[in-house]
Amino acid sequence: MDILSGLMHGFAVALEPANLFWCFVGVLLGTVVGVMPGLGPPATIAMLLPLTFLMDPAGAMIMLAGIYYGAKYGGSTTSILLNVPGESASVVTCLDGYAMARKGRAGAALGIAAIASFVAGTVGVVGLMLVAPPLARLALAFSSPEYFSLMALGLAMVVLLAGRSMLKALLAMLVGLWISGIGTDPFSTTSRFTFGQLELLSGIDFVVVAIGVFALGEVLACMETRAEGKALPVPRGLRNLLPTVQDLKDCRFAFVQGSVLGFLIGVLPGAGSTIASFISYGVEKAVSRRPQEFGKGAVEGVAAPEGANNSETGGALVPLLTLGIPGSGTTAILLAALVLWGFKPGPLFISENPGLFWGLVASMYIGNVMLLVLNLPLVPLFAQVLRTPGYVLYPLILGISIVGVYSVSGSLFDVSLVVGFGLLGYLMRKLDYPAAPLILGLVLGGGMERALRQSLMMSQGDLAILVTRPICAALLAVAVLILLIPLFNKLNAWRLQALE
Amino acid sequence: MKSRIVTAAVAALAALGGLHTPAWAQGFKPTRPVEAVVHTGPGGGSDVLARAVALMLEKEKLLPVRMQVVNKPGGGGAVAAAYLAEKKGDQNTIGFFTGVWLTGPLTSSEAKVTLRDLTPIARLVLEPAVIAVKSDAPYKSLPDFIAAAKKSPGQLKQSGGSVTSRDNIVRQLLQKHTGARWAYISYPGGGERIAALLGGHVDMMVIEPAEAGEHIRAGSMRVLAQVTDKRLPGFPNAPTLKEAGFDVPSVPQVRGVVAPPAIPKENVAYWDDVFQKLAKTASWQKFLADNQFEDGYQNAADLAKFYDEFTGRMRGILQEAGVKVVR
Amino acid sequence: MKARNADLWSGLALAALAAYIITQASGWDYSGPDGPGAGFFPLWYGIAMLVLAAALVASSLLREPERVNWRGAGRALAVSAALAVSVLLFKLAGFVVGFAALAFFVVWVMYRRPWPLAAAVAIGLAGGFYLVFPLLLGVNLP
Repeated sequence: MDILSGLMHGFAVALEPANLFWCFVGVLLGTVVGVMPGLGPPATIAMLLPLTFLMDPAGAMIMLAGIYYGAKYGGSTTSILLNVPGESASVVTCLDGYAMARKGRAGAALGIAAIASFVAGTVGVVGLMLVAPPLARLALAFSSPEYFSLMALGLAMVVLLAGRSMLKALLAMLVGLWISGIGTDPFSTTSRFTFGQLELLSGIDFVVVAIGVFALGEVLACMETRAEGKALPVPRGLRNLLPTVQDLKDCRFAFVQGSVLGFLIGVLPGAGSTIASFISYGVEKAVSRRPQEFGKGAVEGVAAPEGANNSETGGALVPLLTLGIPGSGTTAILLAALVLWGFKPGPLFISENPGLFWGLVASMYIGNVMLLVLNLPLVPLFAQVLRTPGYVLYPLILGISIVGVYSVSGSLFDVSLVVGFGLLGYLMRKLDYPAAPLILGLVLGGGMERALRQSLMMSQGDLAILVTRPICAALLAVAVLILLIPLFNKLNAWRLQALE
Repeated sequence: MKSRIVTAAVAALAALGGLHTPAWAQGFKPTRPVEAVVHTGPGGGSDVLARAVALMLEKEKLLPVRMQVVNKPGGGGAVAAAYLAEKKGDQNTIGFFTGVWLTGPLTSSEAKVTLRDLTPIARLVLEPAVIAVKSDAPYKSLPDFIAAAKKSPGQLKQSGGSVTSRDNIVRQLLQKHTGARWAYISYPGGGERIAALLGGHVDMMVIEPAEAGEHIRAGSMRVLAQVTDKRLPGFPNAPTLKEAGFDVPSVPQVRGVVAPPAIPKENVAYWDDVFQKLAKTASWQKFLADNQFEDGYQNAADLAKFYDEFTGRMRGILQEAGVKVVR
Repeated sequence: MKARNADLWSGLALAALAAYIITQASGWDYSGPDGPGAGFFPLWYGIAMLVLAAALVASSLLREPERVNWRGAGRALAVSAALAVSVLLFKLAGFVVGFAALAFFVVWVMYRRPWPLAAAVAIGLAGGFYLVFPLLLGVNLP
């Protein structure tokens, strides 16, 4: 079936009233789940799975996918307003989003996040529709050595996330690597750094650290003074609550690169949306004409990662639907759902179930529009949250953080951990250690160690495998270039000084 | 049509609101929703099995309450097992175990709870496996592969799970039997294993029949042999290990149900009965056929005997594989 | 502790952590029969951490130390202690009670607001959480 007639057929499926309804239910639930810190799409989809057996598979698939990409829209909300990452992929959004909110531009940040999500979500679907099968085959060229280089490239972004001291940024990153290593070694089942605690065998959930270091650390820092009288500035008037034309202009490139990078990284089964958002943020900062603004409320710093984590969804569906290979927790449960409905996901899935595939694609176009319409009017409303006085707002953040962490694992141990990480986050703030590198190390650490060890298993311990494979070598070269950026900047500053 | 939507929407809201089916609280029946503990995240093997069982119990009306799946991943089953042990005497909790619950504690000294500490209920399935290669690989049969591995020791690669997984145990058995040697690359995620084979980064893998089926139908994989005692209905043309000339025991992946320690006898009898009835239903048989699982049903008493036999066999195999065995 | 040089102390703490990582990692297999073992990766980042922490300590001794403003740290520590206590309370009395106590503490003690207001905020927030999470979303509270 060619693309045009496929799409026509798909819209016919997606526009059936029942399917439209499920699409709406899905994106609405997704938004809610995304806004709630902790509770993520995999748990929600698993919870709803029994109900989907009462439904037509197309409607069910449309709804579950809606939850998946809808959550990416919602994730930015608490990151921007409260510095509580609503979802693992929106950690990066905290950096500039929260800074914008502190400057009274929360509305603009939320608006840009919604627009970036819409643009990127749509690009992701277009990609899924046009290039899925060939791209999936290309993605197979990626194996452990390439993943290692990709992660190294991500880790190199640390130089772009550093504050005043590069040393401290690197140290924070290494601590992140260490935290990622806590738990059972997946290869040898040795337990590492668990202090004999059974709860630590499964490792420390990323959400626990992110919420502790970002949200609780921030609350503790704000508690230092009693200057709560004035809440954060929220400008009056709708016009001031939405992004300006200048904002949109500033984000032109971020929209494009975020969408494309997010999609491409999404197609790789071993990467994931958090990595996509970090890399996209780094790229945006590296090419920006005003890198010094990043971390202080640059609007591109919100658009790029939010775009990347949305188009990643479209990308992640590529290996799932074309090869039956899940790349993340959410796609794994979608795969399980397909199997339980009696489908056989694999290379023949699309050609044997064109109605389902094209219906899903069409529903994603519709769902993205629904999400934009749903989210934009909420922006001014959400921005009002910041009007609440500090003595209500901060306990509220504490409560959301605790419930968010608890909803992930249902364990009080994790709740006590998050208190500990809150203290760590506060101390890092005081001692001028940046938090983002720690999170970066934590996100990439596990995958990087796995990929490196797998590569060395492949090559019988020969490190040359990392430079003899072309894609791998190219990625490593880019990583080295990124590492050289600060050096280059220093040289440039020195040259300018000498010229004067 | 409309009314169906409304009903489903109401059902969706009811589920979200946490309203549960009222329980009939008489005799030795669960009185509140049953917690089914699994050691994988959503979408993992045990998780999918548990959710499928939950659906079938509901459809066949074998359980008066709902069954909720609780994910306790980590430590190769150790976290889930410990969670069950903490629920000592709890009559409304069960767990879905797999072979790693038996092999895990053999290699990890932190795992304080072994399957022996929990109450056996039922063994449900035996998952067979097939040995597959990419369809453009030069090996037409398992002896071809073994011969190639002998020619260049350590150069061929197999993708699989952790070192205590069945994938590696099959490799160890074959290596020991033939004297050939090839590398083993461990991928914690099932998807990556298959991607590595399809991308040509590894040469062979031990894969579950249902997973391999679609790739074989699409012509991207070929089966060399099946790790079974007799040929699977889905693969009438592929030889078993023994038929291919390798007289090694076929190691199945086992899955079944356990309960917390020290639950009353009536409670054990109740669960025993529920799963015995489940194993006889048509929907269970269809589930087994769809997934190409073997019916591995054993009741509570037989399961206890199976533990010892299986643990002893695994200990020997792991020790020979050079894995440190701690108990 | 002399508030002399925060970099020095944090550098030393990180060096200690690195030393711990290295000792632990050297106890695990550096390489196993099938490839690098459990100790391989931690050993290397442990060493990197030790080197960088040493560099931080050295640079802090050479440079004029920057003063960290510790004023207000007591307040932050008090809140984190209150958090820890409230986690204990979750275990004993449940989330709603524990969280209400925490919110009351923050408003009354930290912000010196009148206690009726503090009680109102505490009850309002705790009740709100109870309404939204278990009742509307079906998420269990601690």
